[in-house]
Amino acid sequence: MSVDVAVEARAIVKSFAGMRALDTVDVEVTKGELCGIVGADGAGKTTLLRCVAGLYRVESGSVLPGRGRRNQVGFCPQGFHLYADLTVDENLEFFGLVYGLEKRTLAQRSEELLRFAGLAEHRSRLAGNLSGGMQQKLTLACSVLHRPPILLLDEPTTGVDPLSRREFWHLIEVLHADGTTIMMASAYFDEVERCEHVVFLHEGHVLADGSVDELTSGNNSLEEAFRQLMSESEAGPSNAEVTK
Amino acid sequence: MGARSRHARVVPTIKEISLIAELCVQCRPTKRGGYLVDPKDEKSAQAPKTGSKSAAAPLADTRWSSSGSGRRLAAITRKEFIQLARDRRTVALMVGMPLVLLIIFGYGIRLSVGNIVAELVGHDSPAIRVALGEQNHFKVLPTVAKSESAARKDLLDGRTSVAVIVGATGLPSSVLVDGSNAFVAQNSLDYLRSLTGSSAVQPVNVQVLYNPTLRSADFMVPSEVGMIMLWVGTVATAIGVVREREQGTLEQLMMTPIRKLELMLGKILPYSALTLVIAVVITILGLLLFQVPLRGNPLELLLFAVPYLVSALSIGLLVSTIAQNQRQAMQTTTFILLPQILLSGALFPLAAIPWGIRWVSQLLPLTYFTPISRDIFLKGLGFSELWPQVAVLCGMAVIFTSLATIFFKTRLD
Repeated sequence: MSVDVAVEARAIVKSFAGMRALDTVDVEVTKGELCGIVGADGAGKTTLLRCVAGLYRVESGSVLPGRGRRNQVGFCPQGFHLYADLTVDENLEFFGLVYGLEKRTLAQRSEELLRFAGLAEHRSRLAGNLSGGMQQKLTLACSVLHRPPILLLDEPTTGVDPLSRREFWHLIEVLHADGTTIMMASAYFDEVERCEHVVFLHEGHVLADGSVDELTSGNNSLEEAFRQLMSESEAGPSNAEVTK
Repeated sequence: MGARSRHARVVPTIKEISLIAELCVQCRPTKRGGYLVDPKDEKSAQAPKTGSKSAAAPLADTRWSSSGSGRRLAAITRKEFIQLARDRRTVALMVGMPLVLLIIFGYGIRLSVGNIVAELVGHDSPAIRVALGEQNHFKVLPTVAKSESAARKDLLDGRTSVAVIVGATGLPSSVLVDGSNAFVAQNSLDYLRSLTGSSAVQPVNVQVLYNPTLRSADFMVPSEVGMIMLWVGTVATAIGVVREREQGTLEQLMMTPIRKLELMLGKILPYSALTLVIAVVITILGLLLFQVPLRGNPLELLLFAVPYLVSALSIGLLVSTIAQNQRQAMQTTTFILLPQILLSGALFPLAAIPWGIRWVSQLLPLTYFTPISRDIFLKGLGFSELWPQVAVLCGMAVIFTSLATIFFKTRLD
């Protein structure tokens, strides 16, 4: 593994009830990179992120950071998975304390993150009463309280209104500008186009990965490129993984 | 991936850049370049910075610090208390259900059966009527069945439970008892034996100790304390953990440095406190409503309840390692609790349990807490007599908590 690599999956295989969710997947993300994983539902995006986070044990292959280094990872799962019956402040305080932050440090970071995420005015509201976009921002804030160098985002803007999506992307950009390595699964091609590195995932296989320019060469858009590769992959194994 | 190379990021708009710049200015600068980092915090920050240049470990394999264990435990416990305080429906159920059970068990359950409906068959006999009606064991119908077949019909229809066939001499010749309800039948036989045998047996001075009037409440209320703590504690803990799994918060917790034992204890402590409060309320109500005597030291009762509660709550945690949702948790808990209540001696004597399954009783915490509770309530015993049961409960608390910790998964698969 190169010194500049933050996330590395090498030939990882993961199955559920005999069905291969990931089949010999190779992905490498350089430190500080913003990497987007795009694919249809069931492509294996969530499984890949959970393997990287160490939440799933891979059947074969190797993955980093994985479970042994989960302290380096902030994980923002799909949907809202914080405590709906705790307030915004209480959620931040709880996660800050379990991450081992000192009270003073925690108070400072919470304050900064609330401002950062635009949630300062809503700090006393129950998290369950926030809008979808605010909940996603709160989830992100809780995930980065311990300042992880790697941030995994699992479809963070799915089901979020366009304005909130835009605001959420601002936060991602700031984190990225700060040097955080970000690996984000998404079903939206327009979002993934903002990434430096894109991975096309289809039925547990990596169809292709590279920069947006590399992947779109000869096509008008990333989506077209994905569709073309997908149909080639389904037409026959000889055409699959053309760009790999 | 040969084709992959670094590529310029999508250029943000001017508005985005200005916002980012504003945010970066608001935040304190660091070596990492910007956002949110206070240099003073670096010592306490557990996550290593990017930029490690060791080829063997480009991202240093730092483990979570164990020094914050107490703080993490306190955080979980505090969170549970806040959630409990806001979940009024659950708290109402946790407090209300024991009260209803107390009243049902205390008032509703009688170990002795009275007013068993009986009728005379063939001939009337005032002497037998008086003998049967004494102490209200039987309620004798004023009518007399004409024949044995008519009496059998009454038994079959459930109009009567006992039929005494009286001969022409006025003496009973035989008795028919409805055996479909074994409990009523057994009581009927016991009463009838005492009546028919009374003339043949020499009077004996019988003295009943600790519960001289054989009141059911004196027997039931001390058992109820254990049963209710078991039920409330086990269900609440199992549901508490499974709800975390269902809501996805467990997934978030798995990404934090929380250790399994911290999570287990963090769940056990608040529910233990609440269940102990409920136990105290039940005890006080038992004393006030049913005048059950508490001859021993109530503090000892409370103290001995702690290892029992930890065992019971750990069983709830074990259930949560199996159940994937709250419905499964409820079903599994019921499956585990019912045998406990039936086989622990809380309702039925242990001696009545066949040897083949009595070993199961020895594995149940309630088997050891029931005699503790009864003996403190009725006999006034203390630690010097009850230490063997207390020791077993302490052992069970350690074993069940360890098992729950071992079986608790820290991964999603």
